[in-house]
Amino acid sequence: MDHRPQAWGRPRDDVYGAYDASYMQTNNGPTQHTQQPIVTGTSVVAIKFKDGVVIAADNLASYGSLARFTDVKRLRKFAGTSVVGFGGDVSDMQYLDRHLTELSIDEAYKSDPGHSLNARNLHKYLSKLMYHRRSKFDPLWNSLLVAGLDDDQKPFLAATDLLGTTFTSPSLATGFGSVLAQPIMRRYAPDEESAAQLTQEKAVEVIKECMKVLFYRDARSMDKYSIAVITKDGVDLKENEKLENQSWAFADRIKGYGTQTV
Amino acid sequence: MDTLVARYSRPGAFQNERHIEDGQDDLNDDTTPSLSLKFALPPVAQPSAWLRSATDDRSNPHCPIKIAHGTTTLAFRFQGGIIVATDSRATAGNWIASQTVKKVIEINNCLLGTMAGGAADCQYWLAWLGMQCRLHELRHKRRISVAAASKVLANLVYQYKGMGLSMGTMCAGVTKEEGPALYYIDSDGTRLSGNLFCVGSGQTFAYGVLDAEYKYDLSVEEALELGSRSILAATHRDAYSGGFINLYHVKEEGWVKHGFSDTNPIFWNTKLEKGEFTNVTSSFAEDEQAGNRV
Amino acid sequence: MAMFSQNPVLDGPNYSFAEAPQVRADGFREHRFNPYTDNGGTTVAIAGDGFAMMAGDTRSTSGYSINTRFAPKVFKIGGSTSSQEDANILLSVVGFAADGEALKERLDAICKMYRYRHGKPMTVNACAKRLSTILYQKRFFPYYVYAILGGLDEENKGAVYSYDPVGSYEREQCRAGGAAASLIMPFLDNQVNFKNQYIPGSGVGHALQERERTPLPRSDVEVLVKDAFDSAVERHIEVGDALQVMIITKDGIEEKILPLKKD
Repeated sequence: MDHRPQAWGRPRDDVYGAYDASYMQTNNGPTQHTQQPIVTGTSVVAIKFKDGVVIAADNLASYGSLARFTDVKRLRKFAGTSVVGFGGDVSDMQYLDRHLTELSIDEAYKSDPGHSLNARNLHKYLSKLMYHRRSKFDPLWNSLLVAGLDDDQKPFLAATDLLGTTFTSPSLATGFGSVLAQPIMRRYAPDEESAAQLTQEKAVEVIKECMKVLFYRDARSMDKYSIAVITKDGVDLKENEKLENQSWAFADRIKGYGTQTV
Repeated sequence: MDTLVARYSRPGAFQNERHIEDGQDDLNDDTTPSLSLKFALPPVAQPSAWLRSATDDRSNPHCPIKIAHGTTTLAFRFQGGIIVATDSRATAGNWIASQTVKKVIEINNCLLGTMAGGAADCQYWLAWLGMQCRLHELRHKRRISVAAASKVLANLVYQYKGMGLSMGTMCAGVTKEEGPALYYIDSDGTRLSGNLFCVGSGQTFAYGVLDAEYKYDLSVEEALELGSRSILAATHRDAYSGGFINLYHVKEEGWVKHGFSDTNPIFWNTKLEKGEFTNVTSSFAEDEQAGNRV
Repeated sequence: MAMFSQNPVLDGPNYSFAEAPQVRADGFREHRFNPYTDNGGTTVAIAGDGFAMMAGDTRSTSGYSINTRFAPKVFKIGGSTSSQEDANILLSVVGFAADGEALKERLDAICKMYRYRHGKPMTVNACAKRLSTILYQKRFFPYYVYAILGGLDEENKGAVYSYDPVGSYEREQCRAGGAAASLIMPFLDNQVNFKNQYIPGSGVGHALQERERTPLPRSDVEVLVKDAFDSAVERHIEVGDALQVMIITKDGIEEKILPLKKD
């Protein structure tokens, strides 16, 4: 303990060693740690509509700036009722996928017929798992979106990340999507009431628009993507969609980068 | 949900995802004492270095967790017993977290502890000490001596040495065997008996006043006034001290509380009626009174 | 965001053996991993005569982006079911949301277990002490949470207990916590505890008498809380969207959601 008036009660360097600032980086991205994601997936975007949820993610797994694997499906179905979208580390995603597959098989055997875990249950489970791993200082380096229906068959959409932080919103996006896609989606579904007005066609259109904008501006994205629509009738998952009606006309007007001067 | 979680946490042989929340067992175990010695530790090689990096607001003003700190406390022995006096300010970095902290902790009706350093450390461990003292009473059918009580606390904090506890505390009490007894214990494990201690960031200022005026033969009124005046000096000069003056007198029959009084009117009384604190210009004070307050 | 776009080859240490996560003999893994983040937001609690009010904004942030505009921070604690209809205690948490959630669930589980074992709800001051020890159990790996507990004491007076992250606590008349605490607390000092308010004409200089402190009526407190948040929203980026207000009286808990500016 330090007895000098300004430092009273604080740990003394000769007892504790010098203050080690490397433990607490105040920046938000977890970039500077020794453990970090290697092969990564970029954004996942999702929006609620009146009967369910639309969720999408592209099929790319990057190795740093290298577009390494171009056929990685980052939306996974769970128990035929929900979809989990994975951003972040792909190996941790695959671990979680194995884990969830096992969970759903277990569930299918053990629980009463006709009653399975819904998206809300799944999200609670996943967030507890993520929080537990962060508390072990051994996080699963992902951002997850869970889409499906809740106990009352209402659309359910929620996120959890490597720290176990959870939140729900009418529209959600991880990674670059949180700055590029969220503003677009919030225009159509600023609150729950507006989301409850949205038709399935409109929601799918908005999500496709978001995927396009992400492809225009996110250098770690790709034009091949998966999209899932979750309603009472089940999950409609398409894993080999291509972006349509791209227009790069805007690129013409961009000036001021790199060596470009005209 | 918890049973669900527990049920599904260990699915495969290759996936050992233990998911029982540590500490949730306090729900199932009736025998766990509420002030147990089980603490969660961060799973890193140097928990204390990690904890320090998260909480030491002096080395890193941007550390995420700011623990309430900063204090002036004093206690001294005199012919009429022991005077214990403290300020009431708690600071977290430069932020005054509270001006109304009770820094004298009533362990039982004959024993007082003071609080300096980490507020939570002092509150928790002095409450724990109270529990130990009561257990001692029940086991031995007589009250614990101040020497023993202080040693229980000193031994405890010594076990946690280097883990990041921060407390500078005084135990004051009267027993038949010892008479009035005063001990200083800090989180390094130091335990000293003595007649007079000041502890905290404002200790030097309090010592300055206390040492100049202290005599063992002080009357009770003089002693109370001196304790209060010493804290006042510290609140005036130490930015991390302030708020209210908390004053106690420990007598043979037990302790008596002598108020929890705002420093501001005491300061102006001391200045204007006793002519002290001449460093503060009275013309400025009068201007302020005439100009702003009326 | 950067986590998805970095280059492991060019950018900092990566998978080389020297930099690989070390597993020590005692089984601890060594990562430089920051387990905390700050999700912003602010809470306010005020105790009155016969009621306690807890309020919090509903914005949740990560850095400059808004996670969601509706993430409640005030929770009912200790009801006999998950719907919390007969809860008698309120808890607000602000800081790191995941720690807040964990703390809330833990305290709620303990209160429910107490109710089940003893056949009566936990009193607020017992719950306050228990919360302190829960926080202190994590003294060496703290919950990054500024918690405030509210309810009615045995005399039906409003009670507000405020905590630091490691469990030091105090009963107070009012308290603001979180991002805009430093903006709201001085306002509350003046308006609830009448700090620096004097009775006009009662004297000169230090003879001036302080305004007597009395618990505020409920209508005043409601206005006060809304004003405090409206002001905080103007000057703090992490506060806004909606205001969740819970009022506990002997008749139970009322909840209201009021709009705040969404910019």
